[in-house]
Order: sequence, then C-alpha cells, then structure tokens
Amino acid sequence: MGSTGRARLRLGRSEVEATDGEPLLAAVGRRGWPSLVRSVRYHRPRGPFCGVGDCTGCLVRVNGVPNQRSCLRPARDGDVVELENSWPSPRLDVYGVADLLLPHGLDTVHGLRRPAVLRSAYQRVVRRLAGFGAAPDPGSARPPAPARWLRTDALVVGGGRSGRAIAGELASAGRRPLLVERRADGAPLGGVELLAGVTATMLAAGGAEGDAGFTLLGFTADGAGVAVRSPTVVVATGAYDAGLAFEGSDRPGIVTADLALSGLGLALGTTVVFGGGERARAVLERAPGEVEAVVAPGEIRPELARSAAERGIDLFPRTRLVRAIGRGHLRGVELARRDGAGRFRLATRSLVLAHRRLPNAQLAYQLGAERAWDAGAGAFVPVLDAEGRSSVPGLFVVGSAADPGATQPAAPATVARAVVSGPSPRGPPVPRAPASRPGELASYYRETLAEARHGKTVVCPCEDVLLTELEEAVRRGYRGLEVVKRYTGVGTGLCQGRYCLPEALVVLSLLERRDASEVGTITQRPPLVPTPLGTLAAFAPELDAGSP
Amino acid sequence: MALARSEYRVAIVGGGIVGLYTAYHLHRAGAGPIVVLDRGFLSSGGSGRNGGGVRQQWETRSTIRLAREAVAAYRRFGGEFGTNVWFRQGGYLFLAENAAELARLRSVHDVVVSEGLPSRMLDPEEVAARIDGLAPGAVLGGSFLRSDGTVYPFPAVWGLYDWLREAGVEVSLGNEVAGVRAEGGRVVAVRTSQGEPRCTTVVDAAGGWSGEFARRCGLEVPNIASRHEILATEPMKPFLDPMVVRASDGLYFSQTMRGELVGGLTVPHPPGTVRGVPSSPRFLASMARALVGLLPRLSGLGVLRAWAGFYDDTPDGLPVIGEDPRLPGFVHANGFGGHGFMLAPSASRRVAQAVLGEASDLDPKEFGPARFLANAPAARAERLQLG
Repeated sequence: MGSTGRARLRLGRSEVEATDGEPLLAAVGRRGWPSLVRSVRYHRPRGPFCGVGDCTGCLVRVNGVPNQRSCLRPARDGDVVELENSWPSPRLDVYGVADLLLPHGLDTVHGLRRPAVLRSAYQRVVRRLAGFGAAPDPGSARPPAPARWLRTDALVVGGGRSGRAIAGELASAGRRPLLVERRADGAPLGGVELLAGVTATMLAAGGAEGDAGFTLLGFTADGAGVAVRSPTVVVATGAYDAGLAFEGSDRPGIVTADLALSGLGLALGTTVVFGGGERARAVLERAPGEVEAVVAPGEIRPELARSAAERGIDLFPRTRLVRAIGRGHLRGVELARRDGAGRFRLATRSLVLAHRRLPNAQLAYQLGAERAWDAGAGAFVPVLDAEGRSSVPGLFVVGSAADPGATQPAAPATVARAVVSGPSPRGPPVPRAPASRPGELASYYRETLAEARHGKTVVCPCEDVLLTELEEAVRRGYRGLEVVKRYTGVGTGLCQGRYCLPEALVVLSLLERRDASEVGTITQRPPLVPTPLGTLAAFAPELDAGSP
Repeated sequence: MALARSEYRVAIVGGGIVGLYTAYHLHRAGAGPIVVLDRGFLSSGGSGRNGGGVRQQWETRSTIRLAREAVAAYRRFGGEFGTNVWFRQGGYLFLAENAAELARLRSVHDVVVSEGLPSRMLDPEEVAARIDGLAPGAVLGGSFLRSDGTVYPFPAVWGLYDWLREAGVEVSLGNEVAGVRAEGGRVVAVRTSQGEPRCTTVVDAAGGWSGEFARRCGLEVPNIASRHEILATEPMKPFLDPMVVRASDGLYFSQTMRGELVGGLTVPHPPGTVRGVPSSPRFLASMARALVGLLPRLSGLGVLRAWAGFYDDTPDGLPVIGEDPRLPGFVHANGFGGHGFMLAPSASRRVAQAVLGEASDLDPKEFGPARFLANAPAARAERLQLG
C-alpha cells in the first residue's frame, strides 16, 4: 500500500480518516456497510458486490470525476468524495419511486412511444434516470501524464500463482520477462521486471515492428498510461466468482466471495454462504463475518462439511435461493429444498456467492482467441493446446484464466519452454475433462424460471435488465446472445457482462431450448475495464508514429 | 431455416435498415412476395454499429430533401412500427476551426436555409453555450440546425423486422447470398445458402458489403468498404444536447439517451495493419485526444467500449439508387457512406419505386448507377461526409 501516512477525505458533509493509499471503500466501510449508489434505471438500492473493480455497486464521484470504483481507487489526502445517482441520499432516494411505480420494469423498446405530444416529456424523464454520475466538473480536467512505453521479450499479464510461476520459469530460462500485476503490493520476483499496480485494459495485435507481436495498454490507479510491446503474451488473469440471478439478487449485502476475501474489511455481519466446494470453505475460514449457514445448490463437499461442523455452522445442501428479503439492505433469504421438501427462511445480513468460478480470459478474447463451451464449467473457456497456446500464435492462456476447475493445467515450466521457443501455431487442443455434473446450472435455473416471481429479478445489475426482459425477447423471436444483448441491453454495462452474460447464457439456452454453445458468445470489445479518456489520449503520440 | 417459397417477386440482399425499409415500401405498394436475406443476425452490420445521427444539413438539395423526409419518418416511427427509437432532436452542431472551414459551413448553411430549414451560424460564444466545458479558443464558429437529432438505431431495425414478419414478409437471417443467376441477360434467381429461389428483382442493400456483392454478380462498381471505429463512454447525467461534428477531421459525438457519449473519428490506418473489424489502440488514443482537446473536463471519464464497422463509400459521396443498366433486375440500394441509417426511410422509398419501374423524383444522373459507367459526366457530389 505504499505510504502509511494518514489521509483525510471529505464524504458529503462529513470527514473520513483513512490510510493514504488504501482503497476508498475500505475507509468508508469502516463506518458501517457502505450504501453509496442507486441502480441506473430503477434506482434500486445497491451496495458493493464484487470487490474487484468490475461491478457498479461502489461507484462514487471523486474530486469531480464520476463513476470511480471506490474498491480500487486509493484514498489520497484531501480527496472530495461525493455520492452519485441518488437524492438526497442513497438510503432515501426520491427517484427510488421508479422501482415502485414500475413493478414489472419499463419496456423501453415498446413503451412510452405514444402519444407523440408526451414523447419528449417522457424522453426528458428517462434521460434523467439514465447514467450514474453527472459529467465531470470542468475543474477536474488534468493534463494527462505522459504514457510509459516498455518492451519485453516475454510479457505475463496477471500476478497470481500461475503468472508468477511462469514469470519465474521464464527468468530461469534466461529471459527477462515483464510481469504486469493489478495489485500494487506484490513481492519482487528474481529476474522478473515487475510492473505492479497496473490494470491491463486492451491487448491488440501488432507490436513495434509492424504486424508481429502484441501491444498491451494498461494504466495505474492514478490514471497514468503504461504500454508494453512483446512478441509473446501469457494471459494469467485468473478467475472470478460468478453472480446469480434470483428475485432480489441485486440487494445490498449480497456479495461475491471475491469481495468477502478481498481484504477490504467490510463488516459482513451474520452471513449465509452459497456454494458447496473449496471457494465456500475459503469464505468460512478466511472471510470476516459470522457465517451461520452454508447453502449449496448441490452436494456439500466433505472438507467443507467438516470445516462447517467445527464452527457449528448449519448446512443446507441441494437448496435453491428463491428470493432476497428486505427492501433496502438484505435481511434474509427465502430458500427451497430442491427435492421439493419445502421452503424456509434464514435471517442474515450478508449472502456470499461462492458457488462457481469463471475464467477471466477476456483479454485473450479481445484478440479473437477461440473459445469453446465447457459443460462441466458451465462456461466458455479458451481452446488451448497442452503447452497453453491459444488459437492466436504467440498468445498463451494459463492457470485459472484457462479453466477455473482445471484438472491438468499446463505446468509453468512447459508453458515457459513454449513461450521461449517463440510464436508457433497451436497444437491439438487439450480435450475437455468429461463433465461430472453437466447441466447442473441449467437444472437450477429451470427451477428459478418456473417460480412465480413477485419482485424484480435483475439479471444485469449494471443496466437493470430483468429476467422478464430476456423472456420477452425470446417470446418475440429474438434469439442468441448477440441479438438478445442488443435487444435488452444485457451485458452492455460497466462490468462488460462479467456478471450477467454467463447467467443469461444459461437462461437463454433454457428459453430457446437449445444448447448454450449455440446461444453463443459475444464479441469481446475493448477496453477490458473503463479507461479514462485522458489516459488513452496519452498513448496517441507514440501510436501516431506508425504502429496500429 | 429453409426459405418458404421457391419464387419471389423481389429478393433483398441485406437485412439492415435500408433492406428492411425497402421491403416495407415494397410490401405497402403491393409488390408481391418479398424475401429479405442476411448472412448475419439482425443489426450485425452497419445498422447496428452507427452513431444514430440524423441530419438535414447537406451540400446537395436532393440529399437535404431525402433527409427532411427521413426526419419526419423517424418522428412517426413509434406510432407506425410499435418500437421506440428515442428520436431526440437536440440539433447538429458543426464546428469550424479556421476561416476556410467556416466559409464552407456558411455555404452549406445557405443551401439549407434556401431549402426552408432554419439553420443558424453561431459565433464562438454561442457554440460554447451549447457545449458545456468547451476549451477556450477551440472553435471559430459553427452551424446549427435544431431539428436534426439522433435515434437509437436498434429499435428501428426491430420495429421494421416485427412489422414485416407480421405482414407476412419473409426475413431470412443467417442466409448468405452467393450471387444471382441471370438468363438472357437479366436476373432470374438468387443463389442463397438455403436454395436458389426464382425472382425477377434482386436489390443490393448489403451496406459495407454491397460492392463485394455487386462484383460477385459480375458488376464492376466503385463502392469502397471503408472501416470506421467508434467508442462509447460510461453513462453520465445529460450534459450535452446536440450531435457535435468537427469540420476539420470529422470528429463527431453525441450523448445518447442512456447517457453515454458515443462518437468516432476517421483515423487512416497504414494498409494491412488492421484486419477485420477489431478496434485499434490507435483509434482509441486519437479519439480520446480529440475529445479531451475539445472538452478538457472529460479527461477523467472512462471509455466503456469500442467497436468498428464499414462505410459503403462512393466516389461522389452520393448513394446509388436504381436498376443497373448492365443487368436488368439488379437494383442498387447502396453507397450511403456512413449515412445509410439517416437516409434509409426516404431513400428506400425511391428504391422501391425503382424496383416497380415507377418514376421517382431522384435525378438518375445524380443517383443512378450509370453515372459511374465510362464517359458518364459527373453531375454533382456531396462532400459533407462528416459525422
């Protein structure tokens, strides 16, 4: 975290004490669960959800710049933090009436088009409801810091276990690899040039010498651009915890295991953990909060059951989340036994989703790396050979970015040897391990879809897209993820579809009655994370010099 | 899905806004069985990749008239087709940075005014009043027409698609057209991946691929597919009403109903450096520099996503509408540059007239395909190919 100096922030009318450089959210969260923002369309209460900079649950305005992810933004002395998209406050937002007035949502495709005399009035209202923060203050303009341009013979993106292992192997093989890592506090690694605190946002074909190689664009927490050119790139960007769509699943207090384990220190309070495997066990053993129950969609693994028993935690295997209870912050969950043996409620302040990990290989997909449906993972995964080569020569994907449940991931030394030998076409793809429980998620969502729903089920929290909108799109004959994405807006929000598209895919495969692999993927559009215009502008002079 | 019939009156190649609107006008005129063919999904081409601008400020009177009619059509769209295109008339604001550009805007303004539209020339203060946070000294002046605006493109495509299906017009998606079959020198059938139905007319409304399709049918045409990129920022509360277009470099941007700033800029790429339609770092950086240069307050605003598409450019900047004299039965509905969406409602009506052999108000010397054939004198050109 760099300096340990103190920082004083202004939050609305109050002052908040922080450690210089710690995430704003950690500082704000010390005063209680942070209610910072309302949702975009219906002004539903929202809270921090992902803890890794992707969701819209912790957006704040900092020093006049809107939509800053407070879970990532380092606190600096004198920061002025304002809340967005609510009046007078996120807890008592008058625009929240939109949620009550539109219990079934607003059909923006077919609604509000007549009478013509009222149309411009509707448009003004809808336009005001859109967006999160107000446009940046004119005084917030900063001349962009010049971008740094670096060059390496082997670039590794992602400083988790796999990324570090491969970087280490590459160093042993006589290369001087460059390791780009989002976290700012990674330990140095012998022989490796470590670029810590840099978020990768775009990977493009074309390096310094015309067509060959790659250019990676990234930026620091303070918005300074960093570009790296390399003939080979190893994507080791890890995995993330998936969302889940059920009635009220967007309520504050419902978080991913990523957030629970993030070290942000948010007070979870009484907690229900959803998931039956390793990830749920990690939450039990490492996350703050008093876990009172483990609920799993399927069986509960023995190690998790033992760990829960030692802590006196109740276990509810083969149980489905029916709905979140509570109008504002979560107060409890309604559950249903999947064998039909009845329903019950648990009172809880937090629900931690730890049921499924998804590969974070979007950077490779920006380059069009081939992906294939994996029924076991219930997700699309990159198609790789035994040495980790993707379909794009020179581009490798390793570790849990390749497959979060990898049975036999390519060993770091093997990948490093392949990287050193230079770009070459992919060998035969590694066959996928047979799915242990194929279609498990599909059968889960089949029950969700059959459920009589009373409140909103938000599939895409960034854009407030409802499950009923997916159903309506399919009913009208719009099929496939690319088409339904455009029709409903699912996946077009700030998280770039990370939390909604995997769920929408399974739901659509049920609604369209065809395999998820046929419902398809969407084109991965850059940037990977919202990237400031000023940061991008600083890359222009070098790019003008002739590279793509 | 297999085609429903083995014979159609008209086969329209391209299920974008131009093809769908042409089918609509033809159906209303009672043209007989029509099929619209598209190799992709709905809105996979330019109709799903454009910035939604609809303007009436042009150099040529014929284009101004087409655009005026299109504005009226988009105003009526919701009532007629059942979907909300969010047509918002926030105006189009052209910016000039030097005297030559200002003179050019003024000459366009004079034509626009003489066509009865209340376009206005603005001084720098009036421009700044419409763009909150404009960099001091960034412009010398501008021209503005309030009734220009923006639509949200997708619902227009869906509304037409739904209307056509309800009317019984076949729209065949995921169906690639290989070419046409000609007998006795005229079109008799269309060769699709789902069979080869007979038809008397094929309409080339393939947007960025229309030149390629015409050439596949043996017709040399000057259409060039040019790749353009576009980006969208994070959504914000409304702060900008007009579509802004800079005369010098074609920078354009507007704030959509969703609050995103959407815009593009023409960035010349060295040949061979970019394949297909992925976004390029060079575009993102150039566009960001242009935006921040004009509106410094945006420097901290995040770019959300970027994409690319193809313009269908012609040498004189005017669309190609009419039957090809070299191949009777082959009707052009293409060459719209980057402006197919804004002219489609009205231009497609003239396409339908060409299909039905009816007279239209378009001058064939200006819009007909024969203008590009050897020795044909150039009639006019539309050079306001911006935004």
